[in-house]
Amino acid sequence: MPRFHPLEVTEVRRETRDAVVVTLKPQDAGAFAFTQGQYLTFRREFDGEELRRSYSICAGLDEGCLRVGIKRVDGGAFSTWANEELKPGDMLEAMTPQGRFFTALDPATAKSYLGFAGGSGITPVLSIIKTVLSREPASTFTLVYANRQVGSIMFREELEDLKNTYLGRFSVVHILESEGQEIDLFTGRIDADKMEMLFRMWIDAETVDTAFICGPEPMMLTIADSLRKHGLSDDQIKFELFASSQPGRAKKRAVSQQAVNAANSCEVSVTLDGATRSFRMPKDGTSVLDAAIDHDMDAPYSCKAGVCSTCRAKVLEGEVEMEVNHALEDYEVRAGYVLSCQCIPLSDKLVLSYDE
Amino acid sequence: MTNDAAAMPIAEYLAQGGKLTSPENVPPRYRGELLRLMSSFVDSELAGSAGFAAAINWAPGIKERIAASRITLEKADHAERVLDLMQGFGTDKALYNQAHDWAARVSRDDRIDPRRQGGDMRLSVFYYPLTGWTDAVVMNVLMGMATLHALTEMQRSSYQPLAEVMRDLLPRERRHMELGQEGLERLARSDRDGVRASVAYWMPRVAETFGPAQSERFEKQRGMGLRHTDNETLRQSWRAQAGSVLTALGLD
Repeated sequence: MPRFHPLEVTEVRRETRDAVVVTLKPQDAGAFAFTQGQYLTFRREFDGEELRRSYSICAGLDEGCLRVGIKRVDGGAFSTWANEELKPGDMLEAMTPQGRFFTALDPATAKSYLGFAGGSGITPVLSIIKTVLSREPASTFTLVYANRQVGSIMFREELEDLKNTYLGRFSVVHILESEGQEIDLFTGRIDADKMEMLFRMWIDAETVDTAFICGPEPMMLTIADSLRKHGLSDDQIKFELFASSQPGRAKKRAVSQQAVNAANSCEVSVTLDGATRSFRMPKDGTSVLDAAIDHDMDAPYSCKAGVCSTCRAKVLEGEVEMEVNHALEDYEVRAGYVLSCQCIPLSDKLVLSYDE
Repeated sequence: MTNDAAAMPIAEYLAQGGKLTSPENVPPRYRGELLRLMSSFVDSELAGSAGFAAAINWAPGIKERIAASRITLEKADHAERVLDLMQGFGTDKALYNQAHDWAARVSRDDRIDPRRQGGDMRLSVFYYPLTGWTDAVVMNVLMGMATLHALTEMQRSSYQPLAEVMRDLLPRERRHMELGQEGLERLARSDRDGVRASVAYWMPRVAETFGPAQSERFEKQRGMGLRHTDNETLRQSWRAQAGSVLTALGLD
């Protein structure tokens, strides 16, 4: 079960108008040893509800600090708070570093890396760049970095410094959407044509060992597609998805005010893959999952022992009791999530969804 | 990872070959199907390892004993690697291992539904008991080839961490199958009738593990990028491969 640890904010640096870089000092430094390209998941309560947000570490392994970049998202509670109110001395809670957006380091190797970053997608890529340049003295890195305009480029100066420090081993191609530059290549969005131009003029696909991509979904698809066309295989292309599936704000759990009574059956309505089916089930200890399966619903499950969490669903209305729960965390339970294999209805009406 | 609003619907992203990269960015139904696939793999490896443990003591020589030990060990290790991924979704790893009796088997002549049994998601083939060394070797070769097909399929998974683990496991699972093939070549000379009987027993049971030719689940998982090649195509490809191995040994 993942655990949260306290970290002290030691610095909040404004990086752009919409982004801050936050330096953190964990109380348990050993627990926060990270690998380049990993992220931290923070939790904080907003209006009595816990929100969890993940932000990539932007520090390299040899910088001796833990640092994340947080770009403000419209309507995003956590990112807005971090950009407007977070200050040195504040305490945050985060899980230990997670993620697999990296390749193994080898000081003896001379690899050619390619990175594509869109907007704040630069954060994990920057961590990788700094780390491979310092740990693999013979490797080179080319970064293609897409932004709206000059003012929104995160880590612009830091990237310039890296170019100077690692002369000849690191190059950056900036692509700006809305500011005309001298050459066509550097203006607009990264699309298939732009990728072709990059391959013609800047990047020798044959020599690339690994490509890292982090940015908006359409950009990642375009780039991956183009990389494959130029001969890179799937195991040479590392994605880091930009977005989280979690909505910007956790919704309040809908709890029926209807009193629980002693009737011995329950009217259940289950939503799965957009389709809702209603049926009556006995309140005799049968789980909602088994009842749904009995009614020919292809509900997801595996262990049926409250351990694996495959059968997770959300109660939208009504009350249930979970007999065993070894897989869901408190905040998930508070948000209405249940393990449907362990879920016995208490109320006479129950509305449950596997789609949320 | 930055928690920006998604720039395109995740279903569309997946349909176009996009990859998901962590438990934080999988949507609910994808999560369900992914965990289902992973736990079926974990349960099959654990049950396979538990079943093969007996083969260590049936082994006719030291080389075979080492091969059987290695297969038993590495299948448990492969289960753990995928269980580690499941842990990121909340799965309790320690309890998971204790949730079922991985060595449990039905009797040799029972027929069981190839669909999943209860909460133990192992493939049905792992419910049938092995009867001795020849039987273990034949099962290992036929199921080993099926496993390679399944792993090749999973290394294209849209869940990038799973695809990466599968790429690491593939050469070792291939080695398991090859170890079996080496054993089978010897047995084809020394215990021809035994091999034939075991092939007849295991062929239909392994064939079933690919699932029904028409499968709604496959279509659903294909839409999510979790699967790519349909059950029947995989089964025919396996059948052809198994056929050519058996033909080469004069066993067809």
